[in-house]
Amino acid sequence: MRAMPRTAAAKGVPFSASPVLALKLPAWRSRVVLFLLFAAFLALAARALWLQGISTDFLQKQGESRYARTLELPATRGKITDRNGQVLASSVPVKAIWAIPEDTLEAPKDKLRSLATLLDMTEGELRKKLDSDRSFVYLKRQVEQDVANKIVKLGIPGIETRKEYKRFYPEAGVTAHVVGFTNVEDAGQEGMELASQKSLAGMAGSRRVIKDRLGRIVEDIQSIREPHDGKDLVLSIDSKIQYIAFSQLKEAVEKHHAKAGGIVVLDAKTGEVLALANLPTYDPNNRSVLTGAQLRNRVMTDTFEPGSTLKPFTVALALDTNRVTPASTFQTSPGRMTIGTATISDSHEHGLLTVSEIIQKSSNIGTAKIALQMQPHEMWELFTATGFGQQPRFGFPGAVAGRVRPYKSWRPIEQATMSYGHGISVSLIQLARSYTIFARDGDLIPLSFLKLDQAPVGQRIISQKTARDLRAMLETVVSPEGTAPKAQVPGYRVGGKTGTAYKIVGGKYVRNYVASFVGFAPASDPRIIVAVMIDEPTGAHYGGEVAAPVFAAVTASALRAMNVAPDSSVTDIIIPADAVQESL
Amino acid sequence: MSWRINFILTAALVLCALLLVNAQYQARRLFIELERAQSAARQLDIDWAQLQLDQSTLGKHARIEANGRRDLNMVALTLARTQYLTAGEK
Repeated sequence: MRAMPRTAAAKGVPFSASPVLALKLPAWRSRVVLFLLFAAFLALAARALWLQGISTDFLQKQGESRYARTLELPATRGKITDRNGQVLASSVPVKAIWAIPEDTLEAPKDKLRSLATLLDMTEGELRKKLDSDRSFVYLKRQVEQDVANKIVKLGIPGIETRKEYKRFYPEAGVTAHVVGFTNVEDAGQEGMELASQKSLAGMAGSRRVIKDRLGRIVEDIQSIREPHDGKDLVLSIDSKIQYIAFSQLKEAVEKHHAKAGGIVVLDAKTGEVLALANLPTYDPNNRSVLTGAQLRNRVMTDTFEPGSTLKPFTVALALDTNRVTPASTFQTSPGRMTIGTATISDSHEHGLLTVSEIIQKSSNIGTAKIALQMQPHEMWELFTATGFGQQPRFGFPGAVAGRVRPYKSWRPIEQATMSYGHGISVSLIQLARSYTIFARDGDLIPLSFLKLDQAPVGQRIISQKTARDLRAMLETVVSPEGTAPKAQVPGYRVGGKTGTAYKIVGGKYVRNYVASFVGFAPASDPRIIVAVMIDEPTGAHYGGEVAAPVFAAVTASALRAMNVAPDSSVTDIIIPADAVQESL
Repeated sequence: MSWRINFILTAALVLCALLLVNAQYQARRLFIELERAQSAARQLDIDWAQLQLDQSTLGKHARIEANGRRDLNMVALTLARTQYLTAGEK
């Protein structure tokens, strides 16, 4: 079959005679079309000019924000280690889990339930947290990495994570008061964490990068601001001695049902603090149950009347100014002495005592008689020079100055009582430091909580001869005839002084005691100074009964831990049934 | 003559363009590798800190003493059972 011809020509109509062509159109129509075409081109050109020339900055910024990202480069907080590199505090990355409540509440019920279990809370608690108008709610902070990964895997809408750090303290309560702790933002709150916050924290950096479609970083587009990690802090603490000190203190506090206790061990050669412990203590890893009493660093912040531990300073001053010799005698009978309107007394009548025996038996009257030979300003100067009443500069937050009243207001009775440590208040660490003048041939050195490379230079307070005489006297205190036979250490010669004082509550003395002992060892060439304070022991309350055994146990273990050779062949210790009781 | 120079220049241009693309690609690939290595280094740092922490936790004196006393029946050293040796002595 033949197809129908479709062209006009095939139909017999010639092209030139097409009736459409014969149509006469007005000229303005083609002009309009032409104009419209030009106008369209003009519009395009104007638009191009607008994009390229005028709004180019805005557009480039918008474009960049679609592929460029600014990344925060967090700085890791420095570690705190002891002098042998044992980690005492370290930050580990964890996750904070947060939610956009609106999105999360739409999640299926079983998923929310498993989220609640992973977060360690009940479903009700979770819903309560999510029932909020805010668009950002922390569900839980400091969640460990593997738990956080499981939560992310649940794929609940609106659940996001944020990287943060958690601080771990492996030694927990043992080093709590020295190391301190940080808050949830990783900022130091107490102890060395607070004191060295600046160097520990470091500085966060940032970098601007281009990310590809898969989220990989392909290029840096600006120079990187490098993060500076916090510096590691090496403390002077020896965690072995710290543990020994802590466990012995704990034993004593529990045995005597005491309210609190503190102990500090110093390196007599360098002034480094080898151990510092307080009871009660707390676990810095779990700070939800903290109370003020646990947090208190008694060694640094509590002042007490030192009592007899101050007698050696009075005697040292008298020796140094050649007023007495160790063999000078003083009559202490009948065990009572009236100065002005007040009477002071000894616990026993000791009769005629040499200066050395006054220290050994801890006679108040003997010490007072020595003191009354001296001018108040001399005693005040010695106390001040050894750091009493002075704001300590240990680089440790919260250290207190204690109180020594200005000498102009001293009455004779006050001068007498101050000579044996009443009417004056000190902190345990001040007391321990002041004993460096006896342990170090007469000079006082600054203390340090950081490991030192070289020993600091001391400041001479008393002469070398006086210091050596005093060391010999303090050694007699721990003999069976002294007030602290329980401070004896097998194999080592040790020296020290007991202290027992009433506590002051609201400006009045109460029948509660602070028992203390400060000593050094080995006496032939002292390496360590140990100061122990037991607050409100019940039953036995004398420093020689309560604090001296702690000193002995800590000293024995610490010297062994430090590899100090024994300087005495005595290994059997005689503790008399009734030791001399010191005077209050 | 001039069409030959043009041809050579065009070929050189195309070649350079391709080399540029390749160089850019290589740079990005290497950069990604560097990033990966750096993040591995960071992870190793974290692991190292964690291991040090574990070492401290496991090696703390309280634990050693408890284990020594309980599991190994050890007792504290006393002077009577100690022999001191001095270096250089005969």
